[in-house]
Amino acid sequence: MLKRLLLDPFEAAFMARALLEVLLLGVVGGVVGVHVLLRRLAFLGEALQHTVFPGIAIAFVTGQSLLLGALVAALVTIVLLLVLARRPRVDPDAALAVLIAGAFALGVVVVSHRRGFQHDLTALLFGRILAVDTRQLIETALVALVCVTVVVALHKELVLLAFDPAGASSLGYRTGWLDLALNVVVALVVVAAVRALGTVLVIAFLVTPAAGARLVCRRVVSMMAVAVAVALVCGWMGLALSYEASVHHGVRLASGATVVLTLTAGFALLGAAGAVRAAVDRPRR
Amino acid sequence: MSTLLESLRSPFFQRALLESVLVGAITGIVGVHVLLRRLPFFVVAMSHATFPGIVLASVAGVSLFVGGWAFGLVVALLIAALGANRALDETSAVGVVLAGSFALGVLILSARSGASTDLSAFLVGSVLTVTRADIITTSATGGALLLVLAALHKELVLGAFDPGGAAAAGYRTGLLNALVLVVVTFALVTAVPAVGTLLAVALLTVPALTARLWAERVGPTMGLAAAIGAGSGVVGLCLSSVLDIAAGGAIALTCTAAFGSSLLLRRR
Repeated sequence: MLKRLLLDPFEAAFMARALLEVLLLGVVGGVVGVHVLLRRLAFLGEALQHTVFPGIAIAFVTGQSLLLGALVAALVTIVLLLVLARRPRVDPDAALAVLIAGAFALGVVVVSHRRGFQHDLTALLFGRILAVDTRQLIETALVALVCVTVVVALHKELVLLAFDPAGASSLGYRTGWLDLALNVVVALVVVAAVRALGTVLVIAFLVTPAAGARLVCRRVVSMMAVAVAVALVCGWMGLALSYEASVHHGVRLASGATVVLTLTAGFALLGAAGAVRAAVDRPRR
Repeated sequence: MSTLLESLRSPFFQRALLESVLVGAITGIVGVHVLLRRLPFFVVAMSHATFPGIVLASVAGVSLFVGGWAFGLVVALLIAALGANRALDETSAVGVVLAGSFALGVLILSARSGASTDLSAFLVGSVLTVTRADIITTSATGGALLLVLAALHKELVLGAFDPGGAAAAGYRTGLLNALVLVVVTFALVTAVPAVGTLLAVALLTVPALTARLWAERVGPTMGLAAAIGAGSGVVGLCLSSVLDIAAGGAIALTCTAAFGSSLLLRRR
């Protein structure tokens, strides 16, 4: 029974590729997500997933590589954000909202100029995780490798910066460059995930596992381990669940959305576990 | 130009024009409160989070407004409850909730067959199919929201600039905060038929931010934001008809262009 649920779906090559993609994204999302959590960058991740949309849309319409389109759009976002945030009357959050609004509108306009745009729009927004091909897998693996390497190499500095920004800069660290490096890593993760999950669900991989891990862990490294484990298990179960429902029960469940909802369920379970542990640990007088 | 004159004569286009002017003015004014209280991320989150409510309402055949409002209320409470957890900051709580609820909306839609075609109408709006009933709902909700904001203007502005002072003066600041969140959620859902759930973010933030570049005081900022919102509605709709592009996108892009040009003009 368990084998039929958890292993059999992945005998099909397209399901195996989807699983591999989800697992790769789970690893990189869990590790980078902890830094997103520590630095409260959830809104940046959310903004990036929307601002890469016009890049992908333009690449799609002109027949260029979607990865390239997303990459260029993500880097433009980070530059624009740096420029806007320097204006005293512009609140950084408001600047992000403007970028989200403008970029999303631009993407919609670009796609809407074509016939049958609703179909294209849906594919770009929600991704096609079951249509991941080998080349895309290799690209995801490379991006994941780069991101994890950067985060691991800068681990000490990034954690110091998160907990004590003033201390980090007085110790002589170039905090501006560290911020930029982390922003670029977040952008890379969004770019890697966006073709599989679409431009509205990527944020789940960056935020949900790490936030769940935060509810049960205190140390940064154990948070990363738990976040990765949650992302891997929930990603696997989500894919298996959507396959089971669609193939054996005739209920079409979108795979990407199912994976995101199992991640959310994982978060809720960790929350419950954390609450139980807090109740048990509470010192008695 | 002739296509524009032609479309100006059609009742669809006239209704669309009226709806986008109404929505632009309402969201422009509410948007000033969004900026004052630094709520842009909340607006983005709600724009995603009301999505499953709107989907459920369309499945159940009840008014989309009701579905969006009801679900938005649930989500606002959920974010507040999660944010109260010491281990989690507000930003991450918002991120988790918005991703989960948006996925729920997508899932419900995907379980219905032939769903993908309806999807884009929720996401980017379909202002050209606005009905007389939609316009009446928009005006009634908008009127009620503006009445509330006008009646509590002094208290809301004080609460935004000096929460401590407002609390010390005996105002119920928690209640005022909740009220602003409710007003913002209502304004957001009201904008859905015109520009969709995702582009409503544009109308609730960009006109207000643009107005903020030109005006100092709260009152004039609101007036200017309403004018920019309504103007973007008109210009965007005309552009969409001339260039044959999605109306919601064109309206939001016009707002953003207004912000970009203001930013350049006000460079000091």
